Amino acid sequence: MSGEGDNMTEFTYSNVDREMEVYGYDSVVKSYCRMCHGGCGVLVYVKDGKVAKIAGDPDCPINHGTLCSKGLASTQLAYHPDRLTYPVKRVGPKGSGSWKRISWDEALDTVAERIMKYKEQAGAESIVMGYGTGRENEAVIYRFANLLGTPNVLTAGHFCYGPRIATGIITCGSNPVVDYENHPKCLMVWGNNLVISNPDEYKGEPFSVSLEAGAKLIVVDPRLTRIAARADIWLQLRPGTDSALALGMLNVIVNEGLYDKEFVEEHVYGWEAFVARVNEYPPENVERITWIPRDKIREAARLFATTKPAAIQWGVAIEQQINCADNNRALLALMGITGNIDARGGQVLFKPPKIRTVSEFGAHRMLPKEQAAKRLGGDRFRLAGNFGIINPKCVWDAILEGKPYPIKMLFFISSNPVMTRANAREVYRALQAVAFMVVSDFFLTPTAELADMVLPAATWLEMDYIGDFWKRHGYILPRRKVIQVGECRSDHEMLNDLAHRVGQGEHWWDSFEGGLDYILEPMGITWREFKEMGPIRGEVTYQKYQKKGFSTPTGKFELYSTLLEKWGYDPLPQYREIPESPVSTAELHKEYPYLLITGMRSPGFFHTENRQVRWLRELHTDPVVEIHPEAAKREGISDGDWVIIESPRGKVRQRAKLFAGIDPRVVAAQHAWWFPEKKDPDHGWEESNVNILTDNAYDGCDPAMGATNVRVLLCKIYPEADKGERS
Amino acid sequence: MSTYALVIDHESCWGCKACEVACKQENNPAEGVKFIYVSEDGPKMVHGKLDFVFHVNVCRHCDDPPCADVCPSDAISKRDDGIVVMDYEKCTGCQSCVDACPYDAIAFDGSKEIAQKCNLCRHRVDKGLIPACADNVCLAHCIYFGNPDEIEKLIAKKKAAQLCE
Repeated sequence: MSGEGDNMTEFTYSNVDREMEVYGYDSVVKSYCRMCHGGCGVLVYVKDGKVAKIAGDPDCPINHGTLCSKGLASTQLAYHPDRLTYPVKRVGPKGSGSWKRISWDEALDTVAERIMKYKEQAGAESIVMGYGTGRENEAVIYRFANLLGTPNVLTAGHFCYGPRIATGIITCGSNPVVDYENHPKCLMVWGNNLVISNPDEYKGEPFSVSLEAGAKLIVVDPRLTRIAARADIWLQLRPGTDSALALGMLNVIVNEGLYDKEFVEEHVYGWEAFVARVNEYPPENVERITWIPRDKIREAARLFATTKPAAIQWGVAIEQQINCADNNRALLALMGITGNIDARGGQVLFKPPKIRTVSEFGAHRMLPKEQAAKRLGGDRFRLAGNFGIINPKCVWDAILEGKPYPIKMLFFISSNPVMTRANAREVYRALQAVAFMVVSDFFLTPTAELADMVLPAATWLEMDYIGDFWKRHGYILPRRKVIQVGECRSDHEMLNDLAHRVGQGEHWWDSFEGGLDYILEPMGITWREFKEMGPIRGEVTYQKYQKKGFSTPTGKFELYSTLLEKWGYDPLPQYREIPESPVSTAELHKEYPYLLITGMRSPGFFHTENRQVRWLRELHTDPVVEIHPEAAKREGISDGDWVIIESPRGKVRQRAKLFAGIDPRVVAAQHAWWFPEKKDPDHGWEESNVNILTDNAYDGCDPAMGATNVRVLLCKIYPEADKGERS
Repeated sequence: MSTYALVIDHESCWGCKACEVACKQENNPAEGVKFIYVSEDGPKMVHGKLDFVFHVNVCRHCDDPPCADVCPSDAISKRDDGIVVMDYEKCTGCQSCVDACPYDAIAFDGSKEIAQKCNLCRHRVDKGLIPACADNVCLAHCIYFGNPDEIEKLIAKKKAAQLCE
């Protein structure tokens, strides 16, 4: 870009030299953000030993210099006055908010002592390790747990990303990632708002660029997002009916002969059974299930199948449902039979560079078989169990009822289950009841307030790590430590230290830099060398199955899953009616006449995070529930009113926003709201927490993956002012 | 003399609000004070289709700025390069400009009792740096800085290429 005229100022984007000169920064560090799952390259400008400014790194292939609100506000997180900067232990009754500062040595010695005691008394399985959404500490937590001998690592994996990995692997050997760098000609965005949320692998920027390059756009979403508003075809489905819609589209593609015949002939397993299954879902029936007109289903199926290359951008929405695994498997089938799997500009099974894998680093093979057999819920949720994933209710039940065995200790690292897991009151009771709980986090969250000890965790600005180590776009990124805040430590350093105190020392390192070297070792480089480099990517090749087949038991793309069959499940995707709906619970629906969806994302927040970060909280002061103007009128609700949302489990309050981009039968609430500005130890965890409303009963969970259905339930909604007190 | 402007391609905006936070990081106005902000327009029926767009609202640096006309203390002036600058030292907090702005682009800082607005990051522009919100922050690449005529041509070219696909 250049100015004209007499002054002839040259303006260039991300002008690092001039920024340094004008603002007098001391240095600039290239690193990689992790305000969500990670991946965006950043330039961290430093002055007087403190971070002064954060900008996107134009050289990064994920974000090309752009950066979201969360990344830009990282400085406010790192230097937040409320941040926990030293370990504390509880000195009053549980949840009383009385804490005492202790040293790291006292903290880790106490934790180690408890771990050894419970392991001896009740077995290693009585200790549950946990993390929430992916914060790039997964591999190190699994390593610690597996070496300890506990099969119980409680994560979001049962209903977030874990299902993509598990269903991707059993169907085609990996998780297929949209090849944005080669611009798909058709993008189908399925229940995802990747321009404001926290997608995995690629973020919103490459998606935007592909769209601006002219890609056709199909959007499946119960809400009119801006992406939906820009779509060539918007499919506004009844929430929770995704697999029915996908099977209906597959029906059209199969019966109109729009599939890739060569791929199907040579590379798929179970075609005939698959065709019989999709024939159970003619568009006429699917219209009745999904509320989407049959012609629109046909039109979308044709556009997707006949535009090459095409890709599906998916995400967490379809995983937090009873049909979790089948939603994913039906979408995988759409990618597969249209020949877009591992196709340039389609959906690629990327290879990482030659490093130790997350799975190898996680030491899953070191967990003794007899311990693995004790995994909570492993018999019930067998797809999850085979991927080391457990359903949360199994843990709460074990704590509260001692079955199948008692749980003595919870160790949550970057997790706030009181806010993010279904049936929050049960979660709260379990956390109150457990004998010993340790939390590692940035702040004293509502979950941390129930702990016996809280450890101060480092933000991404305070750690060295191999970014995107666990992602499947094939890149690894050198995240470089820029600052030290108080006594905060990265989860990796903390567990490396603790490991030595519980007798795992021989499998760990003097400092975690040794762990980074270990990951990189097969490539023949050390962390110190990688630190001087930029992103490294594995070799990118397409249609690898032509030579090697797919990495599945049959070597084929398994439309019919031999593994699901072996584990006693339907080997083909199906649609199950959602647990609470006008169809499955008609009587209940009379009392609770709206379908409540709970996944609406807000730019700036990441699940329960950032509500104390001023620049981000200024974007959204209050929790918001969207309701169609017609429904609002019927219920006597005006825009901006505080309203009560009530389900058979409880009530919460949020602020109504009248929104015509939603079906009048559906309302959309936000999740994960707590109020850090409320200084009592509850921090308002019950007020607006949508998981007070959700259910976690086993029979409402995905039978294979154990995914809790938190996304679709029945509710009523009414103004707070005129209908009595909240409970 | 070149003239400068911010031009927003609203059709491309995703409403991600990165521009709001980029501005906060650069200018750090008080809580609740925003020089640039994103709002929703719609949903409403447009040509038989339900549509809604986001609007990025920021000072337009008008050719004939009504805020400057009404300011009793001459705190607002237009520079030769097009930037309408508000001098916070001269502002007395009467808020006439807030009322006069047809675009709702002037904020009032209650703690300092003065009006504030986007000065197009003149402290950056004068040193050859792009304003914070436009400096390759936006993931939709929809905020442009420079000569307005050239930007309009650039956007038109981009949209035409899209239609050819």
